[in-house]
Parts: sequence; C-alpha cells; structure tokens
Amino acid sequence: MTDLADAHKKPLVQLLFSIADDKLVLGHRNADWTGLGPILEEDIAFSALAQDDIAHAGAIYGLIADITGGDADHLAYGRTANTYRCCDLVELNDEFDWAVAVVRQFFCDHFEHLRLRRLSRSNWTKLRQLASRMLAEENLAIGHADQWIVRLAKSTSEARGRIQHAVTKLAPLTPSLFEPTEGMADLEAAGVYPPLEAPMFDAWESMIANVIDETGLRAEFRAPAKDYVGGRHGKHSADFAAMLSEMTEVYREEPAAQW
Amino acid sequence: MGLSKVRDNIPYYSDDLSTPAEGDLRTYEVFVQTERGKPHTYCGSVDAADDEMALMFAREHFGRDQECVQVWVAPRDAVIRTDYDKDLVFRLTDQSYRFAKGYNVGMKWREFREQRDYDEYKKEDLREHF
Repeated sequence: MTDLADAHKKPLVQLLFSIADDKLVLGHRNADWTGLGPILEEDIAFSALAQDDIAHAGAIYGLIADITGGDADHLAYGRTANTYRCCDLVELNDEFDWAVAVVRQFFCDHFEHLRLRRLSRSNWTKLRQLASRMLAEENLAIGHADQWIVRLAKSTSEARGRIQHAVTKLAPLTPSLFEPTEGMADLEAAGVYPPLEAPMFDAWESMIANVIDETGLRAEFRAPAKDYVGGRHGKHSADFAAMLSEMTEVYREEPAAQW
Repeated sequence: MGLSKVRDNIPYYSDDLSTPAEGDLRTYEVFVQTERGKPHTYCGSVDAADDEMALMFAREHFGRDQECVQVWVAPRDAVIRTDYDKDLVFRLTDQSYRFAKGYNVGMKWREFREQRDYDEYKKEDLREHF
C-alpha cells in the first residue's frame, strides 16, 4: 500500500508520536551519561546508542511531518507537555545510578523491538521500510542491554544487589509501556500496525524472561490495567516537566534557527 | 590503509603493549575492515569484561565513524610477540641485498612506455595512410 488512508492518519500519528517521543526522551536521558559512563569504552558505546535512539526519533518525526505537514524539529521540541506520548518508564530520572539506566534500557529496548517488528510488517510501504531498517539497529541495542544485565547479575554481590534493586524498582513502571494510543485498535484491524502472534505484554515478558532466567534475578511483571491512563494520553510523570524544559531549552531560544 | 584520517591515527606504544587493564577487565586488540576483500587494519584496543562485550565496544567505538564491513577483536595476551630487547628480528650482518628496494626499473619503465607509445603511433600512422 503506497498511500495511507485518511481515516488512519490521526491514529497513526498518535502511535508514531509514542515511538518517537519514547526514543527522544530515552536518548536524551542516556545522553546525560556522556562523560560519566562506568568505563571509557562503555561511555562511548552508550553515547553512540543514545544517538541511535535520537536518530530513530528524528526519522519518525520526519515521517509524521510527511503525514501532517510541519517540521521535524518543531515536532520534537516545540510541543506542549500534554501532547507528548512517551511513557513513565522512559521519563524516569535515573539519578546517575548505572543499574537503573541499564535496566530502563533493557526493558525499553525489548519493547521497542516488538513495536518495530510489528511496524516492519505494516501494509503501508513507507512505514514498513523505515521500521525494517530501524529494527536491525534496535537489535544491536538489545544485545548491549542484555550483556550488561547478565554481566552485572553474574558479577560481585554488590553489582548483583544493585541490578536486582533496579529491576525491582522499575518493574512496576513497565505497564506504562503497553498503554495503547488513541485509535490503535483500528490500525491493528487495518494491518497498518499488525498484531503479533501473542499479546504484546506476553511477547515482551517472554523476551525479558529469556535473559533474566539465565541470571537468577527475581522479577515480577503485571499486565497493564485496561483503564490505565498515562503518558500515551498526555498524562506524564512528575519527572517529565523538568526534563522537557531542559531538553527544549536551546530550541526555545530561537525556534526559527536553521541547524 | 583505507581508514579515515581519525582512525589512521593509531596509538603509539612506547612499550610493548603493556597498558594494564583495570579491575577484572581484559584488553582486546581491534581490527576493522573497510571493504570486503581488503585487509583488516589494526586500529587500537578496548578493555572489556568478556569477548562479547569487547566486540560490542569495538563495534561502537571503531565501527561507526567510517563505513566498514567487519570488526575483529583478539585478546591482547593471545598475540604472541617478540621481545624488543631479547629477540633478534632484523639481521645484524649486512644483508642489504634482501631489501625489497634498489632495483632501478625507472629507466626500463620509461623505455617500455616510450616504445609502446611509438608502436601505437606507428599503428595509427599506418592506418591513416593506407
């Protein structure tokens, strides 16, 4: 399908905002680690992967701009807080706790993989092609996150304790990933955002378990409540406002500036 | 060899690969290949906890600021090497005849090219006249 039906534009834009906003916010959070990574090599790797997230966000904002008109920079930095569609988990301030940053990345990357896998089967050609390219890169990010989880869990008792603590702390935030954006059911039915064989939560939990089980870490996840209303509908965590203000500071100085 | 200018600036070792890795990390030597079929070029080292992590670090560190098709890593202590002080590598007696240089082929090349140009010219000349 070369052209997107008009009826699908509005819900697809909501879905695309949820992906781009997740990636932009997570990329921004992770970029805070530049210069502070646990070792030099990881500092470089983590910063490079943060750039992947921001590059992916940029590509999706570009696609949204193709649908709605407008400009990717404005879509990324010029919106009001309640129009962002990112979730609580990516907004979480890690307070420079490396275990928290790693676990946040681990939970989010696996979710992102599933979302991109679905989009890479979309019947809208343009979206399918973009998602397929991003999926290949997302798998590198997953490899990175999995390695750190396993490494730290199998390391000293201090490292293991910290990673377990972060898993326990962040698990209750994971349902926020799964909150559907407005009109998602229509996109699923129409094949624009085809469902997986299993429900998203089950697929995600099994990917997470594949890694966690190997380490003996304890983790319990709850499926998202049906009536949950959060970031995907513009209701953001307490950490978000401060982060958004900082992230958009330069853009707001001179929104018309050419970069 | 095919590396970007930045990556061409490979580290200079004043000692024999002796930089110790911190903690329980191991040092790995990194090689990248910019095109299939071309040689892998040494480009530096990373410290990592295990092989898999070394490959990930090498890919993120050396494999992203230029186009490349493959990255190799090898534990530094797997590189068997000669000792600067103890091992003789280059011979002490005069064996300059073994140097891959000193063959004065410049003159011969010039003659060859001149002859070739002359033959070409002659061929065309003949074609034009007959």
